[in-house]
Amino acid sequence: MLPVINIGPIAIQSTGFILLLGYFIGSWLTSKFAQNIGTNTDVIENCILISLLLGLVGARAGFLLQNPTVLVNNPLSLVSLTPSMLNTGFGLLVGGLSAIVIAQKNNLPLWPTLDTISPFFLVIFASIHLANFGSGKDFGLATNLPWGIHLWNASRHPVQIYALLLVVCLFLWFLLHTKGLMTNGYVRSGVLFNLILASLGFITLFTRAFIENKVLLAGIDVIQLISFIILALSLGIIYQKVYRPPERNAVLISMGSNIDSQQNLVKGLESLKTEFGVNKSSSIYRSRDINKHSGKVEYLNQLVNFSTSMSYKEVIEKLKSIEKASGRQPGDKHSVPLDLDLLTYNNDVFHVQDQHGLQYVPHPDLLRHRHIVLPLAEISPGFKHPANGLSIQGIMKNIKDNRKIIKMKEVTHHGSTR
Amino acid sequence: MKKQLFIGITLAIISFSLIWLILTPVLFPVSRIDASISAPQRGFTAPGFSLQTPQESNHSLSDYEGQPVLVFFWASWCSVCKAAMPGLQAVYTDYAPNGFTILAINTSHQDTLATALNYFQSQGYSYTMLLDLDGAVSQEYQVRALPTSVLIGGDGVVADVVIGSGVSEGYLRARLDQILITMEED
Repeated sequence: MLPVINIGPIAIQSTGFILLLGYFIGSWLTSKFAQNIGTNTDVIENCILISLLLGLVGARAGFLLQNPTVLVNNPLSLVSLTPSMLNTGFGLLVGGLSAIVIAQKNNLPLWPTLDTISPFFLVIFASIHLANFGSGKDFGLATNLPWGIHLWNASRHPVQIYALLLVVCLFLWFLLHTKGLMTNGYVRSGVLFNLILASLGFITLFTRAFIENKVLLAGIDVIQLISFIILALSLGIIYQKVYRPPERNAVLISMGSNIDSQQNLVKGLESLKTEFGVNKSSSIYRSRDINKHSGKVEYLNQLVNFSTSMSYKEVIEKLKSIEKASGRQPGDKHSVPLDLDLLTYNNDVFHVQDQHGLQYVPHPDLLRHRHIVLPLAEISPGFKHPANGLSIQGIMKNIKDNRKIIKMKEVTHHGSTR
Repeated sequence: MKKQLFIGITLAIISFSLIWLILTPVLFPVSRIDASISAPQRGFTAPGFSLQTPQESNHSLSDYEGQPVLVFFWASWCSVCKAAMPGLQAVYTDYAPNGFTILAINTSHQDTLATALNYFQSQGYSYTMLLDLDGAVSQEYQVRALPTSVLIGGDGVVADVVIGSGVSEGYLRARLDQILITMEED
């Protein structure tokens, strides 16, 4: 037990130090993860920081509301550096509400954002247990087991170490599963977060049994009960997301062509209508080819959206077969009769490695090219990017591609423009 | 993972968790912390001690049975301790009529006694100053940083341990109010 770390004349309280270190490591990992899966790094980082600060303010305010005479007698108590003068419940409430308000204000999408924050939760969970081990708080029941630690004049279950070992195993699995924070590893957003939440709930439920000071309600430990509810809810959400996906999946497709472009786009649109039934299609937009090595200089693009009962894999296979039928040679970037890119699939954010290579959904071009965003604005003006929540205006502001884009007038089904 | 396999694993986890939740009070009953075990930690009986004032008068923790006591470890070179002490005096003045006592234990084994005494008297503090000449009480209370404050309830059980500047006037008043209410109810 080491409540204070003495470095020469400096005494550092281990609890505060470990929690602060946990915050920085968790925040850094979350920022790396956000960059890799495409969620809004800056807003998420700020959201965590501001919620924590407001949570602390709320915890102090909660304490003073509970003890109003303290504020009356000592108004300076409001800002004193006294960790004991915090009301945890009120702090969590204020911090949580602040996070929701900030997330809503910045249009942060719920599940992709929560997936991104998973490493933060893991590190903070580990930090709390390490800090408790350091301060001797939440110590274990007395035991005769050989691995009992001597604490508070008895040999006790090293309960914080049990939790730490389990969360370290979970963290290693997390790193392996996400390929070193490169992908969330599931097609449905939110599965990763709920899996982590369920695991943390299980670890808490299991290890709390060995704690001496339980918070009892009718003989049952309240923290264990809450953990059980979290575990059950999280598993329920995972089941819902993985095994009961929506009956109709909203899909956004970009069509492009640089050979017999107008004819190929019309044919492509017809094929999409036959396979999926198109809801909306944009006008055709003409731009210079982004692949400078290509001999062709002009590209035509069009966006379509539709809803389908097909899975992501089935949609991709259909798109590839339509591309092939147009005469597209895989790997040939010079001559492209028809290029079909899946831009979004529902509001999910994921990476898939298949025989066609590494696929990113939402497609990265959605944030790069005006020939994608301009037609998107036409068919879906209220569009919000599934990963970072940016609106059309927000995306346009960040695009560096300034090639000239010409909107062609209405396109007839016979491929002529007028 | 196949749907049936997921459902099977989920049901196994939920069943195990539910059984664990229900059996926890049976397998790991919550025993009230053994009153005979003393430790400088919340919930345990405060370790007993007997020390002298600079005027060589003996004071034991057991002398204050039934009263809330703040044991405050300090040194004259510790600026954080000195910053907290006027606040302690204000609380002591207000709560002494309710039986509240402050035992300000000077860690004399790592302080200059004359300087400490001079400081304490010059400030006019009216609570009790004790001398831990050999550091035995500091060691018993596992004092690793100054100030360390141990708030003890009327039942002799440690109510709080605060390391550092956290023992502010506001905090102390709030905790004392709670302790006094609990004592009245008992």
